Amino acid sequence: MRIDPIEFEIFKNLFVSIAEEMGVTLCRTGFSPNIKERLDYSCAVYDRDGETIAQGDHMPVHLGAMPLSVRAAIDHVAMVPGDMVVLNDPYRGGTHLPDITLVAPVFIGREKRPSFFVANRAHHSDVGGMSPGSMPLARELFQEGLIIPPVRLMRGDAIVPDVMALLLANVRTPDEREGDIAAQIASNRVAEKRLREIVARYGARRVHGYATALQDYTERVIRATIREIPDGTYTFEDALEDDGFGAVPIRIRVAIRIDGDRAVVDFTGSDPQTTGGVNANLAITLSASLYAFRCLVGDDVLYNAGVRRPVDVIAPEGSIVNARMPAAVAGGNVETSQRITDVVLGALAQALPATIPAASQGTMNNVTLGGVHPRTGRPFAYYETLGGGMGGRNGLRGISGVHTHMSNTRNTPVEAIEHYLPVVITEYALRAGSGGAGAFAGGDGLVREYEVQCDTSVTTLSERRRSQPYGAAGGEPGASGRNTLIRSDGRVERLGGKARIELAAGDRLRIETPGGGGYGREQQG
Amino acid sequence: MRIGVDTGGTFTDLVLLDGRELFVHKLRSTPDDPSRAILAGIREILALRTGAPGAEAPIAPGLDVVHGSTVATNAVLERRGARVGLVATRGFEDVLRIGRQTRKELYNFLVPDRAPLVDEGMTFGVAERMLADGSVRQALDASTLDGLVASLRTGGAASVAVCLLHSYANPAHERAIAERLAAEGFSVSASHVILPEYREFERWSTTVVNAYVTPLMDRYLGRLQEALHDTRLSIMQSNGGSISATQARTAAVQTILSGPAAGAVGAHAVAHAAGFPRVISFDMGGTSTDVSLIDDRIGVTTESTVGDFPVRLPIIDIHTVGAGGGSIAFIDPGGALRVGPRSAGADPGPICYGRGTELTVTDANLLLGRLDPGAFLGGRMSLDAGGARAAARAMGRTLGMSDMQLAHGIVRIANANMERAIRVVSVQRGFDPRDFALLAFGGAGGMHACEIADTLDITTVIVPRHAGVLSALGMLLADVTKDYSQSVLTRVDLAADAWLDAQFAPLVARANADLAREGFDERRRVIACMLDVRYVGQSFEISVPLAPGYRETFDAQHARLYGYSNAARPAEIVNVRVKASGVTDKPALPRATSADPAAPVPVTVRPAWFAGRRVETAVFRTEALAAGEAAMGPAILAGGQATTVIPPNFRFRIDALGNVIASRVSSGGRRRASKAAPAAVPVS
Repeated sequence: MRIDPIEFEIFKNLFVSIAEEMGVTLCRTGFSPNIKERLDYSCAVYDRDGETIAQGDHMPVHLGAMPLSVRAAIDHVAMVPGDMVVLNDPYRGGTHLPDITLVAPVFIGREKRPSFFVANRAHHSDVGGMSPGSMPLARELFQEGLIIPPVRLMRGDAIVPDVMALLLANVRTPDEREGDIAAQIASNRVAEKRLREIVARYGARRVHGYATALQDYTERVIRATIREIPDGTYTFEDALEDDGFGAVPIRIRVAIRIDGDRAVVDFTGSDPQTTGGVNANLAITLSASLYAFRCLVGDDVLYNAGVRRPVDVIAPEGSIVNARMPAAVAGGNVETSQRITDVVLGALAQALPATIPAASQGTMNNVTLGGVHPRTGRPFAYYETLGGGMGGRNGLRGISGVHTHMSNTRNTPVEAIEHYLPVVITEYALRAGSGGAGAFAGGDGLVREYEVQCDTSVTTLSERRRSQPYGAAGGEPGASGRNTLIRSDGRVERLGGKARIELAAGDRLRIETPGGGGYGREQQG
Repeated sequence: MRIGVDTGGTFTDLVLLDGRELFVHKLRSTPDDPSRAILAGIREILALRTGAPGAEAPIAPGLDVVHGSTVATNAVLERRGARVGLVATRGFEDVLRIGRQTRKELYNFLVPDRAPLVDEGMTFGVAERMLADGSVRQALDASTLDGLVASLRTGGAASVAVCLLHSYANPAHERAIAERLAAEGFSVSASHVILPEYREFERWSTTVVNAYVTPLMDRYLGRLQEALHDTRLSIMQSNGGSISATQARTAAVQTILSGPAAGAVGAHAVAHAAGFPRVISFDMGGTSTDVSLIDDRIGVTTESTVGDFPVRLPIIDIHTVGAGGGSIAFIDPGGALRVGPRSAGADPGPICYGRGTELTVTDANLLLGRLDPGAFLGGRMSLDAGGARAAARAMGRTLGMSDMQLAHGIVRIANANMERAIRVVSVQRGFDPRDFALLAFGGAGGMHACEIADTLDITTVIVPRHAGVLSALGMLLADVTKDYSQSVLTRVDLAADAWLDAQFAPLVARANADLAREGFDERRRVIACMLDVRYVGQSFEISVPLAPGYRETFDAQHARLYGYSNAARPAEIVNVRVKASGVTDKPALPRATSADPAAPVPVTVRPAWFAGRRVETAVFRTEALAAGEAAMGPAILAGGQATTVIPPNFRFRIDALGNVIASRVSSGGRRRASKAAPAAVPVS
C-alpha cells in the first residue's frame, strides 16, 4: 500500500483522539481518587498483533508495560466477540496489583480474529491484601492483594457475575471498585466504537496500513535520535536505599551500548531481587528505559511500538529489575522505576552532558492511609503520591513540587481529602532550600503534614531518605527527604523511608520530599 | 438604540440595530487606548445611520452600548496586571505555586515552569483554619490584621486576593479580612465571593486572576464610562451575557473570555433566525480556531483556563485549537507533512501576502484557485501567487508530489485538525455532529467549512451575512446575565426539598437584587436554578435543572455522555447554581422579501481545484447576491470580509436574512476525494 504523507497525518490525528477520548471517559466517571483526581491511568490502541498504535500521554510508567498486558491477554484467553479481559498479575501482564488493566478485542465484520485491541489501566485505591490501599510492606506478592490473572470479566457483552463477585469480595471498598471498573469498561467501549467508525469510513486495509506506517515512522525518528548519540558504552550505577526489611542498599547497574542507530540497555550486574516490595518486573524496566529515549526526541512523535524496536533491554531474570514470582512488587512500579530512570539517564549523561538534566527527586513518596471512618462506620482506604524537586536543566531551574519522570499524577485537593476522610492536612507547602545548588538549581521538594482524626494505619513507601538525587555538570545534589511522626503528646519519631505505623487521633505524619539535583557549577560572587 | 462594540487586536467592529435596519462598521483599533477607536466608531456608525457615511454624529444620550474587550485576557497573557498580594491560610501559602503538582509535558526535559501571577514575597499567611463542615478549628485573631495591612502596604500591593481553606463552607474569616482590607482602601477579591466552590487551587486561581485584572479593568471602564456619560454602558461577559460596567469593574474575571463568547452568542442568534436551532459554530481565523456546539442553547463549562491558570466560572464552552489560515506547513524530521501549530500570524503572514517565507494554509488555498488574487478583501489587497507556487514546488519535490497535490494535502491536513476540534465539542460530549449544521465565520471559516462538513457527514453549512462582525452582533443581542453558585456537597437522598429551597434562597435573592439594580423589573427576569450532581465518589459533575425527577435527568445525562448510568448508585449534589438573566429588547434581524428563485450571474469563471481535479468554477460577489438566489457548486463567493468556497457536491442559496446556506447534494465528494487524491490525478 502506498503511504500518502497527507493521509498519514490524518490517521495520526484519528488514533490519538481515540486514546484521548478513552482517557476523558475514564477520568470523568471514575471513583478512585487515583483515577478521577490524580489521573493515574493510561489508555491505548493496539494492532492485531498487540503492538501499540497509539498511547495517550498519561502515565510514563505504563509506556512499556501496557503492551505486555495485551500480550498476556492474547496468550491466556482465546477472546471472542463480546469478551473483555481483566488482569493485574505482575507476572502475567501487570505491574503492581492496584493497577487493574482491561483489554478488549475489536472484531471487524465477520473476521475470525480481532483486528485491533484496546486497553486501559487504572490505579485502584484498594485491591485487598495486608494493608488498606494495597501498597504494603510485604514479603511476597500474595500479601499485597488480590491477584487477577488474565480472565474474562465480560462475556457476550455482559459482566461475568462470578468473577466480579469474587473480585469485590476481596477488596475493602467494593462499591468504589465496581464504579471504577464500570468506568474502565466504558472507556474501552468508546475506543471500540471509534475504531469501527474509522474502519467503516476508510476501509480496514487502509486503517491497518496506516497503523503500521505510524509505527514505522516512530521507529525512524527514534533511530535518527540514537544515531545522534556518539557510539560507545556508557555505564552508571545508583541504588535503592533499602527494601523496608533491612538497611542494605540494592544496587542497579546499567551499561548502555550505542552502535549506530541501535541501543542496548543492559542491566547485567544489578543486585538480585529482594525480600521487600521494591522488585520491578520487566514491564517497569522497559517503561523506564524507553521513557529516557522518548525524551531525547525533540518532536511530539506518537508513542507506539516503534519506540521499542531500536532499543534492546537486557534485564537478567531474578534480579531487582526483572523479578520472579512470588517477589513482592508494590513499590517496583513507583519507586524502583524512578531509580531505573536515574540510572539510565546517568549513563546517557556521559554521552550527552548538555542534554540530560540532574536527577529529580527519584521517588513518588507513596502514602497510604486506612481505617474505619468514625462518621460512617465503614472502612476507608486512601492512597496518594507526592511531588518533589525536579533536577536542574541546562538553561532552566528544576520545577518545584512536581511529579517527575515516571509519574505525572495530580494531587488531591486538601478540601477534597478533608471532606471525605477523617484527616486534616496541617501543612502543604514547598520545602524551601531543598533543591541542589548549581548554575541552574534543582527544584524544591514539598512538605505535607497529615493529622489523623481516628485510629489510622499508615504505610509509607519512599526513597532518597538517606541518599540524595545527584547533581549534573558540577551541580550539587538535592536534599534527602524526611518522614517524621509527631505524636499528639509532642513526642517526635524519625521514620525510615518505608514504614508501617499505627496512628491515633491527633497524631501527625510529616512528609518532606527530596529536592532535585542542581545542574552546572554555581557561579560564586 | 443599541450598539455592539467588539474591540479586537486589529479591528474594532460595531453593529447598530435600530429596529428596522442593521448597520455595520469596522475601523482600526487603537491598542494604546482602545476607547479612542470605540468613541470614534460610535460617532461614525451613528452618522452612517443618518445617511452620512464618513461623517461623525454626536453621541446622543439614551444610547445603549454593549462592549466586549480583550483588556482582561491580554493583561493575563501579556503579564500587565496589578501587583497582587495573596492572603492565604498559614501553611498553605504555596498552593498556587504547586498547582496540581503536574508538569505540562511528559517527554520534555525542558518543560517550562508555570510563571505565577503573584510575585515572590507577596504571599502572606494568616493563622486561622476552617474545616470541611464549616466549623472553626483555629479562630482568626483580628489583632493580627494590623501587621497584615502593614505588610501589604510595604509590599506595594495594588490589589489583594483573600484565599482561605474551606471558605465556601464558612466565609467568616475571609469576610473579616476582606472587610478590614477594603476599609484600608485595598481593592479586594475574596474567594468565597468570586467562586464559593470547593477545591482550593481552582478557587484561589480564579480569585487571583480576578485580583490581577480588576484594577486595570476598573480604570479602563471608568475612563470609558466618563467619555460615554449619559450612555448605558454594559460589558460582555464570558458566560455569554452582559453586565453593567459598574458591576463589571469589581469582578473583571467574568469578562475574561468575552470576545469568543460573544461570537457564540452571535452564531446562536443568526442560526435561530435562519431556522437552525442546532449548529456547531466554527470561527476560523488566522492563528486559531474557536469551535462550540449550540444545541438550541449555548453550552457552558466551568473548566476553562486562561494562560496557565484555571478560571472555574461558567464560561461558554469553546474549544480553541492553534490552527488557522496562517498555520505553517512543514516536513518533520520523520518525513511527514505537518500543518501548524506554528503560524505566520499577521506578520510576516502567508507568502502570498508578500512578506512571508513559509508556506501556509492560505497559500495553499490561493494555489487551489479558492482565493481571488486580485480581489482579496474586496480588492483592498492583492496576492502574490508566484512566491507561494515556488515554495510549494520545492516542498512538493521533497515529498515526491506536485505543487498542486501538496496544496491539496495542506488543506486536507488543516481540515483534519479542524475536524478533530469539532469532534471534541460534539462526539466527546455525546453529540452526533450529523444532527447539526456547521455555522462558519472568521476570515477562513467559509473557505473550509463545506469540505469539513462533508467528512463529518454534516449536510448543511451556514455562512452568516455578517460573518465578519458576528461577535459585535452577539454583544448587541446578549441578555444581561449573572451566575451564582455555592458548594453544598450533600447526598441527593438527604437533600429534602425544603433544605434545597433554603440553599437556593440566598442566591436567588442576590440575583433578584442584582437584576433590579440593572433595571429589570420582575417580568423581565429569568431565574434558572441548577444542581451540579455526580455519583458519590466521582469527581466531575453534570449540571441538571432543579425540577422534580432531577436525579433521573442526571442518570440520563450520564448515560448520554459516558455510555452508562446506575440508578441504584447514590448521587450527591456538589454545587447549587443560579443563572439570572435580564431579558433585553432584541430587535429582529432585518429580512429581505424573497425574490423569485433565480440563478445569479457570476462575475467571472475561472479554474479551481477540488479533490485533485481542475474544475471551471463560477465566482460571485457575495454582496451582490440577493435573497432567494441559488446555484450549484462549484462556486466561490468572494466577499469584502471573507471568501466562501462551495465544492462541486454542494449547492447554495441565499436566505431571507442574507445568509449563505450551502447543502450537500451527494456525499460522493468524500469517498472520491480520499480515494483519488492525491495519487496520480493530473492536476496541472
